[in-house]
Amino acid sequence: MQGNDIMSSANLLIAGIYQQQDDVAYYFALRNMNDSLLNENIRLREQLAAYSEVDTLYDSTAAYIKPIDSTHFVKYADYTYRSAKVINKSVNAVNNYITINRGEKDGVRKNMAVVSSTGVVGRVVHTSAHFASAISVLSKKQAVSAGLKDGTVGHVTWAGYNPSELVMNDVPQQIRVNIGDSVFTTEYSFFPPNVLVGTVTKKEMNESKNLQVLYIKPATDFRRVQYVYVVENLMTEEKNNLENNMNQ
Amino acid sequence: MNVLVKNIVRFVIILLIQVLILNKISLQWWSQPTGFPVFVPYLYPLFILLLPFETPVALVLVAGFLCGISVDAFMNTAGMHAFAMVLIAYFRINVLNAIMPKNLTEYAGQSPSVKNMGWLPFLVYVAFMIVMHHIAFFTLELWSLGNIGYLLLKILASGLTSILMILAYVLLFTNPTGYKRSQSSY
Repeated sequence: MQGNDIMSSANLLIAGIYQQQDDVAYYFALRNMNDSLLNENIRLREQLAAYSEVDTLYDSTAAYIKPIDSTHFVKYADYTYRSAKVINKSVNAVNNYITINRGEKDGVRKNMAVVSSTGVVGRVVHTSAHFASAISVLSKKQAVSAGLKDGTVGHVTWAGYNPSELVMNDVPQQIRVNIGDSVFTTEYSFFPPNVLVGTVTKKEMNESKNLQVLYIKPATDFRRVQYVYVVENLMTEEKNNLENNMNQ
Repeated sequence: MNVLVKNIVRFVIILLIQVLILNKISLQWWSQPTGFPVFVPYLYPLFILLLPFETPVALVLVAGFLCGISVDAFMNTAGMHAFAMVLIAYFRINVLNAIMPKNLTEYAGQSPSVKNMGWLPFLVYVAFMIVMHHIAFFTLELWSLGNIGYLLLKILASGLTSILMILAYVLLFTNPTGYKRSQSSY
């Protein structure tokens, strides 16, 4: 613990108080939590199903299972996920934070990404031995690199006013966007790629710049988020070293 | 009870009410469709408002800073609450001098309350200090005048609810009329 970490909600005393409160309060949100976990399971099962091409349960006489072709290359696991319980959160400030009950001793480090079962949450900024606090994407300080399905890449920021509205500026006007389209994280951010940021609820044309502005409903309900995953990118250090050496 | 112990206990109670109850209030039905700012009431400036009349200004400033920085630590705001608190702590003596009919030294051993100020002057005192605190805090937090309507709306909404909360606290935890118990509690 160092410097401004002491005056943050990752502080042992403060996080301890929040932990005590949360131990009582979280029973009241169990139904929501179960629903979101169930939905996540469905999503993960669908992803898993995409890898098995023959449904042997449906068609047990299927004679052969297509072997993995030679162009398929093995990708090493880049990310480690750690679960954490949210013990305090806010949506009313200009920069909003959540406090989680995992810290340095559990392997949580600064600048790790935080995602929930439904989408992006934020980035770890303060850590102590057993607690950490993360700045959520509902913060003016925190932008997220995000993209649409067709590969359009931009930045998602928070305007600072409405906790259910993120803004994606400067989308070229020829890109066709429909209401309800999903926006995902890209490989350029500290988040793992293809994590849901939110869905488009409104689009506007900035006539003076000929660019579109997309309004996005965040996938995570920041008022209700209960459990999150802290994502460690195992390649961060190697990547940073490489990039720093390039600049010399 | 010793006045120092009394104020420390009050500080802890107010801080816990602020961070454990009031900070959790964010009305979804209210803000979601209309885009009305999400706000929370701030009860904690009451700690400075209720310090005894004869507290030296330097001590009020230190107490204000400590109270503000504690709230800052709970909310990860890095000194913004401390700034607003030190500001109102600095002006407290001037506001009191302007409102109170007698010289402040004549109220030895008393704290500002409805009993020795009367309802209207007490309300004016609370409202003035809260509005000053909120203007300082929200301007510092938003750090732009690009959307001044939003800023004013947030100051107004949060300020009104803060004053309501403070009145509720004063009615619940102190003895505003002095009936039966001459010594007010926390």
